[in-house]
Amino acid sequence: MIRRVFALLAALVLIPVVTATPALAYEPVNIVHTEHVQAGPYGLTVGFSTWPLRAMQSLDFTFIPDGGIEDKTGTFMRTGPSGSHTRPLPMARHPRKRDVWGLDVFALQVEGKWKFDFTIDGPQGHGAGALTNLQVLPQPGPPLALSWAVCSIPFVALIGFLIVVWRRGKVRQLAVA
Amino acid sequence: MRPIGAGFVLLGAGISMVGTSWDVQWHIDVGPDTFFTLPHLFIYAGSAIAGIASLVVVLAVTAAQRRGETPDPRDGGVAIRVFGGRFTAPLGYLVTGVGAAAFLLYGLIDLWWHGVYGFDAVLNSPPHIALFTTISITMIGAVIVAAAGREKRWGRFATMISVPLLMTFFPITANAFQGVNLPFDTIVASTTLIIVLLLVLTRAAVGRPGIAIGTAAALLAMQAILWVFTPWAAVTYADAVGLPLRDGMGGEPPLIPSGIPLAAIVAAVAIELLFRRGGPALAGGVAGLILGLTFVVQRDVLGFAPSPVTTVDLIATTLAGALFGLLGGFLGARFGATLRLREKVTA
Repeated sequence: MIRRVFALLAALVLIPVVTATPALAYEPVNIVHTEHVQAGPYGLTVGFSTWPLRAMQSLDFTFIPDGGIEDKTGTFMRTGPSGSHTRPLPMARHPRKRDVWGLDVFALQVEGKWKFDFTIDGPQGHGAGALTNLQVLPQPGPPLALSWAVCSIPFVALIGFLIVVWRRGKVRQLAVA
Repeated sequence: MRPIGAGFVLLGAGISMVGTSWDVQWHIDVGPDTFFTLPHLFIYAGSAIAGIASLVVVLAVTAAQRRGETPDPRDGGVAIRVFGGRFTAPLGYLVTGVGAAAFLLYGLIDLWWHGVYGFDAVLNSPPHIALFTTISITMIGAVIVAAAGREKRWGRFATMISVPLLMTFFPITANAFQGVNLPFDTIVASTTLIIVLLLVLTRAAVGRPGIAIGTAAALLAMQAILWVFTPWAAVTYADAVGLPLRDGMGGEPPLIPSGIPLAAIVAAVAIELLFRRGGPALAGGVAGLILGLTFVVQRDVLGFAPSPVTTVDLIATTLAGALFGLLGGFLGARFGATLRLREKVTA
């Protein structure tokens, strides 16, 4: 009997898994706002898929040099409101928009004024420029402390369970002694 | 029924593990995410399989108990009376089932989270940490189920599979502490704590020399499988859905298997040698020293250290490894002894 129930349950779970078609359609990159940056001889258009920006909310960024990316390389460095910054990272094509550089579903984690530094190397030599005072508004959703409190419940429950188990172990050790 | 129930729980836990490693690599190498990707389906199916198997076993044990049979503690651990005795649940299956149910609940919260914040694939968002914790709870249940059958060959075999699953999975939760600024590598320290604790626990719970080495060998085998499977699956799935790899990606070592210390087997040998002579805490401390030193180097060589490792970092993290290992040995011995409990418990 129990074997049959297991077989049925296994079928119920495994059939959808085996026959599922993976999500084939990925959303196109939809730019709703742009900013212009002059990096030496190169004009650069920075695109955002949502505007205004909010902390922790992810979006697509595109970086499009005038004349396309074909004959150019570049770097990109982010500086947060506190002044801490990333290393200059090489420009990479946007995974869903391969003709331009970009970041896919990426979030700036902190509210405040951000700065993007760019360098571009191409036929007209080296150029550097920056997008300053990029305003990031406060995060949407409930306060982060509340989200963490709700999502810490399993961990706290696990610790509680382990404490109970620990105390039973002591009982056993006493019994053995 | 015993090996079947345990088998389904292990199958579920294993599928969750494979799905997670695949999913993480997918985000690194390829990128775009929706809620319904194949790796996500694996992760959810894993919890569903483990959870449903637990539910069936709990119902079967409850029915048997109502017929007047005494629950056998080798069948998933000591029997716990739940809801005032309405159900009789073997501890291991109870823990697995609660973990799986909580996982599905936090899956809904994660869906809401992505609706508000978008699909930025970060490991350490609050719902992701909750999901990792609940899968870990499911895997802890699997360890309890396996260890309950320790006198039988299937029980020891299941222990050597369930413990490495938990060793690989639980440290992912340590990503929550990534932002905390300490003089040593927190990922190395927490991974060391968990691995040493579980090796000592296994040795104490099963009570057979060599079981810690067997468990570490199974961990190494699992690491090898994930190392080969994960990048292959990410690339194959990307091809299947017509997505390209990110620029400059695809050549780096896969993240989840890289996060397993390669020297765990050396640490296991130290534990086997010192467990009786020096005591579990000392054995854990020595094992922790080995893991602290080697894992910080491993992370640096593979390119996962947050910043280049200096001599000071190396010494600080090695010492932290020894201390966390000492703690792990101490905790593991007690928890292992508790897993040997056979008398009935009412809660």
